Amino acid sequence: MTKSIDTSIYAAVSEAIRAEAQRILSDGTVTAIVGYAAARRKGSAQPIVISSADDAAKLIFTPACVNNLAVYLTKAKKEIPKKGKVGIVVKGCDLKALSGLMGESQLKREDLYLIGVPCAGVLASTVQPATELTSDSIAPKCTECDAQLPGGCDFVPPQAPLTPGQTRKYAAEIARLEALTPAERWAYWKEQFSKCIKCYACRQVCPFCFCEQCLCDRNKPQMVDTTPRPAGNTAWHIVRAMHLAGRCAGCAECERVCPMDIPLNLLNRKMAKELKELYDYEAGFEVNDKGPLNSYTEKDDQSFIK
Amino acid sequence: MSRIGVFICHCGENISRTVDVERVAREVGLLPGVAFSTDYKYMCSDPGQNLLKKAIQEQKLSHVVVAACSPRMHERTFRKAVEAAGLNPFLCEMANIREHCSWVHENKEEATVKAVEIVGMMVERVKKNRVLPTITVPVTKRSLVIGGGIAGIQAALDIADAGHEVILVEREPSIGGHMAQLSETFPTLDCSQCIMTPKMVDVANHPKIRLYTYSEIELVEGYIGNFQVTIRKKARSVDEDKCTGCGVCMEKCPIRKIPNKFDCNLGMRPAIYVPFPQAVPNTPVIDRENCTKFKTGKCGLCQKVCGPGAVDYEQEDRLIVEPVGAIVVATGFDLYNITEKPKGSMIKGYGEFGHGKIPDVIDGMTFERLASASGPTGGKILRPSDGKEPKQIVFIQCIGSRAREKGISYCSKVCCMYTAKHTMLYHHKVHDGQAYVFFMDARTPGKAYDEFWRRSIEEEEAVYIRGMVSRLYQKGDKIVVMGSDIAVGVQVEIEADMVVLATAVQPQAGADALAQKLGISYDKYNFYSEAHAKLRPVECATAGIYLAGACQGPKDIPDTVSQASAAAAKVMTLFAKDKLEREPIVARVREAGCVGCFACKKVCAYGAVEEKEIRDRQGNLIKVVAYVNPGVCGGCGTCQATCPSKCVELDGYTDEQIVAMIEAL
Amino acid sequence: MHPEKQKHTFEPKIIAFVCTWCTYAGADLAGTSRMQYPPNVRVLKFPCTGRIDPVFILKAFQQGADGVLVSGCHPGDCHYIAGNFHARRRFAVFRKLLEFVGVDLNRLQFSWVSAAEGGKWVEVVTDLTEKVRAMGPMTEFRELALEEQWSGAINTPELEEAYNQI
Repeated sequence: MTKSIDTSIYAAVSEAIRAEAQRILSDGTVTAIVGYAAARRKGSAQPIVISSADDAAKLIFTPACVNNLAVYLTKAKKEIPKKGKVGIVVKGCDLKALSGLMGESQLKREDLYLIGVPCAGVLASTVQPATELTSDSIAPKCTECDAQLPGGCDFVPPQAPLTPGQTRKYAAEIARLEALTPAERWAYWKEQFSKCIKCYACRQVCPFCFCEQCLCDRNKPQMVDTTPRPAGNTAWHIVRAMHLAGRCAGCAECERVCPMDIPLNLLNRKMAKELKELYDYEAGFEVNDKGPLNSYTEKDDQSFIK
Repeated sequence: MSRIGVFICHCGENISRTVDVERVAREVGLLPGVAFSTDYKYMCSDPGQNLLKKAIQEQKLSHVVVAACSPRMHERTFRKAVEAAGLNPFLCEMANIREHCSWVHENKEEATVKAVEIVGMMVERVKKNRVLPTITVPVTKRSLVIGGGIAGIQAALDIADAGHEVILVEREPSIGGHMAQLSETFPTLDCSQCIMTPKMVDVANHPKIRLYTYSEIELVEGYIGNFQVTIRKKARSVDEDKCTGCGVCMEKCPIRKIPNKFDCNLGMRPAIYVPFPQAVPNTPVIDRENCTKFKTGKCGLCQKVCGPGAVDYEQEDRLIVEPVGAIVVATGFDLYNITEKPKGSMIKGYGEFGHGKIPDVIDGMTFERLASASGPTGGKILRPSDGKEPKQIVFIQCIGSRAREKGISYCSKVCCMYTAKHTMLYHHKVHDGQAYVFFMDARTPGKAYDEFWRRSIEEEEAVYIRGMVSRLYQKGDKIVVMGSDIAVGVQVEIEADMVVLATAVQPQAGADALAQKLGISYDKYNFYSEAHAKLRPVECATAGIYLAGACQGPKDIPDTVSQASAAAAKVMTLFAKDKLEREPIVARVREAGCVGCFACKKVCAYGAVEEKEIRDRQGNLIKVVAYVNPGVCGGCGTCQATCPSKCVELDGYTDEQIVAMIEAL
Repeated sequence: MHPEKQKHTFEPKIIAFVCTWCTYAGADLAGTSRMQYPPNVRVLKFPCTGRIDPVFILKAFQQGADGVLVSGCHPGDCHYIAGNFHARRRFAVFRKLLEFVGVDLNRLQFSWVSAAEGGKWVEVVTDLTEKVRAMGPMTEFRELALEEQWSGAINTPELEEAYNQI
């Protein structure tokens, strides 16, 4: 049954973001702000970088503000001038990615001014930007969100999002796949991966794919088959999921940008689920010195080892 | 293009019996890049090595694969040979076709096919091998010795006499260890303290030895030649520099009834004490758990009577960092405690011997204290329960040792001899007494040992009963010992006045924790493991750490002293050069690709990864990357497996080499 | 003395990634003790299980391995202090990933084999070989590789029509 989701606070949130942006740009707290602005199509939004207080009025927050802006602050994106403090508009999921990047020495907290967004959810990539936000049109990641109110930010508008209980879409899909036989799962993923055209949009958009040279682009030695064909695609997606295990913050940007609609975040969620079960690790707002795969305890599970 | 030479060894018949070596040579000779292949009876022999060297020069070989035994056996041999012929030693690899092939398979066809594949894999690997220059690191010519028993003392004196500084760390308030507790020593019956205490004094007076007693190892960092050791000097509550050792504090201390561990709890000591009169240093320590001042805040008598004002209740633990180049571990042993089962111990208790609840059932060390002229009874053999002289005494051997069902399968090595000694000491002191010994068999290898044992029977009238004791129990003031004499095949029952158990020799409590700090390995009993049971018996697998004494396995005094001197010799060998050459199997960062996520730093167990700033010519910071200190790097490669973009590579085990091997499959 | 050896129609390829200090030495001990085991295993020596990248396992399967064994020192025995502890976490997670994409985990074995456990090495290798032999060849990755040849498969009527018009 389709349930509508209350996004009435977004207007007030946008107003608060604009006011704060105006203030911090005018008083020189920050040199630039990465946020969202209206795009050309009706109801759509796009990332924007503003460096003048006059542009603060352009900032918005709507259910169409899907992007994780954290990626613009990584080394992979050299366009943003990294001089002085930079402001950034973050949803809870985006903030987790920023925390992860800080833990991996990619960003420093003191270089950032965090404008947190109370978020009731954003739209799925499969619907038009002007669509009303409902339990059907909402992005799957938002059905499992535990971070509607970002913590530890420099500024968060006072509005509180209302969040109805929702069906956890990834959890349900993971459970379905886990119940299959290995052969059936292989068939499922084989079909999914065979769609892959190796455009690497998933890599391009991921805040954690900040390597200067990707392992999968190396040819001396060729660790991973690089062809845009079934064997190469499968290898790429396995390596990608493994490299993000314990780091992925769950922003699901990979899945959003995939032109072939491969359920990429499903792999990431599965890894997150295992890490939670094995090591009680979850991506959160706090900056961790070591991730779950950079640390260990002597008592770790080894029931799988003979 | 590589010109690889492949040399297939017959190993006598060890390989050629199951592997058709000629066929292997022929088939690998066809592999791309292989310029030369041959087989030979014994590659490791002189003619074999000469064949290798000659081929390198004549055939202008660029890489070498020797297919023979395990690289753990002869890699060094062949790399040396290759080096002698003018090639970098790391351009040589071994293919293991003996341990991993000819010895474990019977079918000649299968084994030959496998051998060809193994060699083929190594051929592909060696193509990717790079020239690796040997790494040299400086050596700090100071040594740490852990443990101040006879092993540690001997090692410390030897190293110090060679002119190198020694840091000697002892956990107890005095050095001396177990040997200081012994009465007389086999096989000569000379008084232990008479030969031990002069050595203790030598340590105290040696200008090259810095002694830390009542101290423990807190942290060990670094690597061979360059260790940083943090020592916790526990609060003694007495200033060692001010104390003159007059002993007035000990006389005046009102707390007097604390069982003295040194006397196996037979004697009493005050709360401020030295463990025994000949202690080195002769500086008392306050037992804070039992001292009234520390418990209630009142008293303070010792401070009042101390002329030099050495007593300091405010003293705290101090952490001292000492740079050293080598470490000798000499932490010694302890006796298996029959009164309680140690926590987490795999050893089952000894309910049949009363679990230590019968006061006159004692262990061998307690008997030593009774027999010692400086012991609590002044050398008289008296029962702990009522102070009477025991007229019938029973010694039982192998308590814990050689008892697989109880959890220890090894022989404790010293008990046969010390029990023979005990029967003699008893006979010398109690002329009308009778000693019985229950034993499985007497193990007396050692110079003049068997003669000594026979003397205890033939001259000192000890009665040896071959068989074990099934049970003993208190009956009035006697202890009934029930056992069997398997030589005669009868049950024996002896009403004894005292029973002495030869309990098993075990490593010191906490031996495993220390090993983990040092990064050395230990066996399931917590005895430290030597690098090779026969050929490297005093070295640990971890470079720069050496073993001496019973911490490595049960040992008597002569063996312990020999091993301690051997460990000292190893340290001196290390110190003989100013720089140490080490294997260049270390990680290296490809700075161009490094994005500075420092995942490598997070997983490095050696702390070898540092942060390095890359600046342009104007001095502007471009980026921060990882840097691996080649001297500190242990060479495990965990960093490389962790690095997402593989910008850190372990030389000798690069991704190229590994992938080449996988692709050769 | 030796019973007639059973002939098998399928001989699996087993790749073993082992650390040099424990498992490689354990395999050496099996050799010195003249223990017997199936010849299907190929051993790749690493300094430490900590060096073993999950990508190598993937690569091995892609290169035609029917079974993969990863083996190192028991916890607490690592020659490099903690390499095996890091490896334990890494592989605990990686095997879950492989399982999720449909790899039968019976083909992937992890074990601790010490330098003293020649017998255990024989047991682990024999068990894995027998298990994988019973499962048959690992076809999944091989089929993927073959599919590369026909990536332009004409599998819809529209494509068929377009093809015919060429």
